[in-house]
Amino acid sequence: MNSSPRGLNRWAIGFFGFVLIAIGAGLLALVVIPAVASAWRNWSGGAWNSLQQVIEQTRLPGGGESWIWLALAAVLLVIIVLVLALAAQQGKGRATLLSTEVDAGGEPGDISIGGAVAEQAVRAALAGRPDLPGVSVATYEYRGKPALRIRLQPRQGVAPHLLAGEVADLVMALERVVGHQIPVLIHVGVGARSRLSRAERVR
Amino acid sequence: MSQPTEPARGETRNAVQPETPPPSPFLRRVLRRESTSPRSVAVVVLAIVVTVLCGYALLEALVHLVGQPSWLIEPQYAVEGLAKLPDSLSPILLGALGAVIFMVGLFFFLGAVLPGRRPRHVLNGWTASMRATESGIPTDRIGVVVDDGVLAASLARRARTAANVQREQVMVVVSRKLVVVNVRPTSGVPVDRELISGAVEEEVRRMQLEPEPAVRIVVAESGVVGA
Repeated sequence: MNSSPRGLNRWAIGFFGFVLIAIGAGLLALVVIPAVASAWRNWSGGAWNSLQQVIEQTRLPGGGESWIWLALAAVLLVIIVLVLALAAQQGKGRATLLSTEVDAGGEPGDISIGGAVAEQAVRAALAGRPDLPGVSVATYEYRGKPALRIRLQPRQGVAPHLLAGEVADLVMALERVVGHQIPVLIHVGVGARSRLSRAERVR
Repeated sequence: MSQPTEPARGETRNAVQPETPPPSPFLRRVLRRESTSPRSVAVVVLAIVVTVLCGYALLEALVHLVGQPSWLIEPQYAVEGLAKLPDSLSPILLGALGAVIFMVGLFFFLGAVLPGRRPRHVLNGWTASMRATESGIPTDRIGVVVDDGVLAASLARRARTAANVQREQVMVVVSRKLVVVNVRPTSGVPVDRELISGAVEEEVRRMQLEPEPAVRIVVAESGVVGA
């Protein structure tokens, strides 16, 4: 439910993979296919000479080095910043407020309800259950709307549809308390705690 | 006969069931996102690799710019070596390098192109076990996803009680559209395949999974001794 930029992730990985495939295939072709090797020699010799000329012509005034290197450094810096910015976007989207209402009911004054209310209420309600060793609740904001994510890690063998129904009852009770309809994602998952714990025998 | 209200209660409970509003577009979207991978791990790996490579190149470019001796490789020599390629490096090294880069690229490329489904199912059967409330069944705003491992454990339990065997004698594999229940019967005690398949299918039907998997029961030829 977090707001990782999935489309962008996919494009970035696909592009990176494509570039690596092209480089790798090119290197292999240079070794394996003699025609490719000779074609590369023909082309690269000329290209190298013209590049050297460009470097000579673009030397900085005062006998310095070519400013090509400065441009190269700038391009590399931009690439690094872009890639780190993308990595920083992963897993974002946690919210602190479950709902905010400005001048609720026509009265002056704003009401905000923190996400911790829902998180602690659900966690406390499920704390005593022997068939549920792991519960985590988090508030997320996805597309500008707050939503609750309840992650359950039951013992092995617990029927997920019955468990989810009982948790849905809790959520309905919470809605009545908060006075708001909240979108909720219930994720029944396998975690380290549920895998290591003994199977549920009697319920 | 004298209790005309009893069957009526069952009927009203059934009558409550159809009031399940369709999930809101918001919830649909969330459920769809939950069942595919965000590919965050691959992006972080990409970020580290690109940052290290570009960072090193940046260092060498700046060192060259201020006229200092290079740190590891003089960039101008590197470009020259690239231009003279098949001859500037041993063919074995070059081929190995190409193969490794190709494989890593393939790994990333497939990671992007493949659908990236997580081993999960959307579960709609939770509404049946809810207490009836005046606000109806909140299927428009509550969504449930279940890891396939949880489904497998739950179905294995159901199959085990139906077959009356030990926990170790049942293994369930859940994939997107198929549930395979492997049962090793106790030696000398035949298991009822129909009974197991009926029980497991009933459980799958109650869960109302999306996509709905088919059930296949595999009873092993050899039994387990002393179970």
